[in-house]
Parts: sequence; C-alpha cells; structure tokens
Amino acid sequence: MATATTVPGRWGGLSRLFHWGMLGLFLVIVPLGLYMADLPLSKQKLKLYALHKSIGLTLLALAALRLLWRSTQRRPSLPPMPAWQERAASATHVALYALMFLVPLAGWLFNSAAGFPLQWFGQVNLPALVDANPALKSLAREAHELGAWTLVAFVALHAAAALKHHFIDRDRTLALMTPGVKAPGTGVDP
Amino acid sequence: MNTRHPSPALLLFVGVLGLSACPTLYAADAPAYVPVAAQSSLSFSGTQQGERFTGVFRDFDARIAYAPDQLPGSHIDVTIRLKSLDSKSQDRDSALAGADWFDFAKFPTATFHAATIRISSAGPVGDADLTIKGKTKRISFPFTWKNDSGKNVLDARVTLDRLDFGVGAGEWADESVAGRKVDVVVHLVLASAPAAAAPAATAGKPAAAPAAAPKH
Repeated sequence: MATATTVPGRWGGLSRLFHWGMLGLFLVIVPLGLYMADLPLSKQKLKLYALHKSIGLTLLALAALRLLWRSTQRRPSLPPMPAWQERAASATHVALYALMFLVPLAGWLFNSAAGFPLQWFGQVNLPALVDANPALKSLAREAHELGAWTLVAFVALHAAAALKHHFIDRDRTLALMTPGVKAPGTGVDP
Repeated sequence: MNTRHPSPALLLFVGVLGLSACPTLYAADAPAYVPVAAQSSLSFSGTQQGERFTGVFRDFDARIAYAPDQLPGSHIDVTIRLKSLDSKSQDRDSALAGADWFDFAKFPTATFHAATIRISSAGPVGDADLTIKGKTKRISFPFTWKNDSGKNVLDARVTLDRLDFGVGAGEWADESVAGRKVDVVVHLVLASAPAAAAPAATAGKPAAAPAAAPKH
C-alpha cells in the first residue's frame, strides 16, 4: 500500500460508523445463525432465517460501500511497531475484507442452491445466483459455515491485537478507530 | 287436420323415454384416454416469502373419457401420489410433506373426480370433486381440448385456496410465509386408453351384470 495515503490522526466518522455498525450486526448475525440452524421447522424458524439473510445482505452491501469509501480516504498511519506486526495487521485486514464478501456470498449461494426465496426485510426479492442444486447446496453451506468461523477468528485476532496495542504497548492503535478512546499516556486524541 | 295425431310434446316424451331406456346410448362412456407420461405434467405454483415457485407431481394416474357429443359418458378421474412432489427445494419438499401441509403419511394421495362435464360458452367445464388431505371440495374445472398432431391434448388451469384443504394450517395459515392461492396447471397429452383398462375389462368379464355397466 502506498504510504502517501496515510496521514496522522484517526479514522474519520463514516469509517468508524462502518466499522462499529458492521461489528454490531456481526454480533447479532453470528449467534442468530448458530441458533436458528438446529430449530425444528416452524414459521418462527423461517422468520429467523429471513432475518439472518436480511442482515447478511445488509452486511454485504455495507462491505461494498465501506471498501469504496475506504478507497477515497487517506488512512491514518500506525504507531511505530515491529515490522512483523505491521505485516500481520495488513494480512488480517485483507482477510477481514475478503471474508466480509465471501461469507455472505457463500450464504447467498447456499440459499440459491437450496432453491429458497431470498428477501431483504420483506421488501425486495433478490435473484438466485444459481439454480437449485443439492450437491452445490452442501458445498456452499460448508463454505458459509467455515468462512463464518474463519471470520469470527480473524475478528477476534483483530480485536485482541488492538487491545494488546492499547493496554500492553500503550500506543494509539485502538484510538485510531474507537470513538471516545484516547491514546494511553497522552490523554489526547492521536 | 287429423286430431288423432300424437302431439309433438307426447312424441318428445316418448322419444326421451326410449332414449333413456336404451343402455348403449345412456351409459356408454365417451372414448377413454390416458396421459402419455413423458409429455404430460401436473404442476402448481405458489408464493413463498414474496417469490413464486413451481412444483410438479410426477406420479399420477389419469383416465379421461370425453367427447363433446357424448357428455353424459364423459368424466375425468385422477389420482395423484403426493410424495412425487418436487418443488426444486429439498427443504420446501420436506416441509410440504409434514403434517401442517400435505401430511403424506396420513394422506398419501389426492383425487379428482369430474363425473359431470358440460359445455359452457368458454368451452368444456368439469364439475369436479377434488380431495386433498381428506377434504373434498367441489370445483369448477374449465379445460381446453385440442387435437395436436393426432393426439388429444387437455390443458387446464385452476386456482385453489390451500386453506380449503387445510394445507398449510395452523401457524402457516396467514400469508406471511406462503400465499393462500395456488395455481394448478394441467397439461395432458392423451393416448387411447388400453383396451384392458377399467371399463373394457369390466365389460369383458362374463360375470359383469348389466347393472354394473361402467360409469367409471
């Protein structure tokens, strides 16, 4: 990445809104997905699935908007840290963005291959990506689940790293993205 | 004028009496047909969560006796083996098999009997008893009857309310997941019924009493 696009300071308001808003939805959609799958068939189950799909489509759209917005923004520079940490952070961000797309798309594929309708909050129906296909359905389901767990793992790693920088390294990494958090020791915004 | 001539009304009365006494005219079935399985279909379409889906019943028997000039001997009888349902979604198919929907375990078949066929201004119409999930409803079954390269073809489309038959009862009754209206589309390419089939077989049995003259 070109370092010319990084600047001192922190992420802007819209970037932070994307970040925390998507995390909020993520914290709803993951437990919902785990809970709903084993329910016996009922109308409630279909409604929970519909909600899961609606949130998933929302996250997919937000991921696209977020990536677009990110490409127009100059990124705040990271505080000094070992090169391996910068590389790890960069790789984690690539993985997070990739999974933000892959997980909902695999879910959409799963839904299409299952021959099920796809409706966004009861308002708009979206087309199937493929025709009903039982073999592809199992494959897409595996991909969706594995992808979701991988995303959970990367989110946890990302959060753990940010907290480690804040509480152990006592640098301004967490403050770059977190409203109301100041860089440790300085008492000021980064 | 000779007043001893019978009045036209009396002539008509006698004529009708004579006709009804003649079993070959009264009870004779119209020519009988069975569908050519590979070219015929029994499909339906409904809505689920805002989306239209279609399904088919692959396994059904039908016997159609019909000729526009032999309406009293015309009838349509269909038996549908419900577990042959395919709506292109395993999840939906297994849901439809359950007790809230078709309840295959208790009601493995649906039947359709149109014992009366009349000609309306729009074409032939069967007055049919449709039985699904143990509930029978009289429906009007308008159809078209065409000859297509030597074969008779019956096409029909009727709209049913699934709740008339308790299909999708209980919590599914409202339309928030599935619509009530279901369009059924029938396309039967017909071949002459084999001679050994029901009416012929009955008639051929030496023991068959005239009283058992085939209505079906």
